[in-house]
Amino acid sequence: MWVFLRLLIGSIFLVSALSKLFSPYQNFLYAIQAYQLLPSHLEVYVAQIFPWIELLVGFFMLLGLWTTWALKGTCLLFGLFVVVVGQALIRNLPLEQCGCFGEALHVPADVMLLVDSAGILITLLLLRHLDKTGRFSLDSYFDKRQAV
Amino acid sequence: MMNKKQVTLLIVVVSVLLIGGVKFFIGLRAPAIDPQEARCKGNPQGRVKIVEFIDFQCPACAEGVKILNHYLRQHPHDMYIQMRYFPLANIHRHAVISALYSECAARQGKFWALNDLMMSQQKQWAQLISAEPAFQLMALQAGINMAGLNACLALDDVREALYKEKSLGQSLGLTSTPTYFINNKMIVGTKSLQEALKADFPLAAQEQKGLK
Repeated sequence: MWVFLRLLIGSIFLVSALSKLFSPYQNFLYAIQAYQLLPSHLEVYVAQIFPWIELLVGFFMLLGLWTTWALKGTCLLFGLFVVVVGQALIRNLPLEQCGCFGEALHVPADVMLLVDSAGILITLLLLRHLDKTGRFSLDSYFDKRQAV
Repeated sequence: MMNKKQVTLLIVVVSVLLIGGVKFFIGLRAPAIDPQEARCKGNPQGRVKIVEFIDFQCPACAEGVKILNHYLRQHPHDMYIQMRYFPLANIHRHAVISALYSECAARQGKFWALNDLMMSQQKQWAQLISAEPAFQLMALQAGINMAGLNACLALDDVREALYKEKSLGQSLGLTSTPTYFINNKMIVGTKSLQEALKADFPLAAQEQKGLK
């Protein structure tokens, strides 16, 4: 189950990243602007860089490479999403959808807030059971090789 | 045998190259946008050429039209605007029918007359269950030949023209409206539009700020 959860979260991040990366960055920029949180020049940087962070975190989670760091990063990202989506809901901003998955999936912001909160819990559990989470991973392969 | 750091580096480099390559390939295959005389205004030789993809029921598109009209009034010789359809039927119930009316108006050379009315009255007709009576009234006010309009609305090729433009937009990477191409640079949303226009026309931007 722990490995499955690791793969599931990795896949979610990977799908989210690829849907943004294969689309012009301006589409994600438009989604970021809807949250009215950052100054304009920062929004552009975030729109261009953020999908790459999601991609690497997703890849590392799927492959089980630097799993502890990937899990901490994932937890941090979920926390960030909760803050960003939460403040938008509190301020009653007119969000038609969260913009989290580009065009791949349309998820309402309130539903995404629940998903992100669940994400934090799951990653914390995965961190707690790191020995089981790390099965079938590149980390365990390298650890075994080093032991030999 | 590679160690852990080398594998990490390999994954990062391969990801960047693979995705960068696919994006480059997609960019090469993006089609060019042909001029459509029936839905253009401004100076064809203007230095700022704007192609806007809109959904007539999208509130941000109506705001975008206001912004563009302001800049066009200030700089009629510098701007050339072309409008394209990108109806989002999954979220706007009148997206397709409003675009059909617009296309039929365009075929009578009355696109902008109807467009101005549609955009200024969007809040009213967007709430209706059937917006056709409102469109008929606006078409009358725009001076459109009603018999010609109603015959046009039944034509298959009008709908085809609409979907052709939508697929053109999709192949350019559009996912939402309003999306603009200002001198071929993609801009999504009115905030980015204002920033881009402000850079092109700083004086008009100050005047617009003063009007608010």
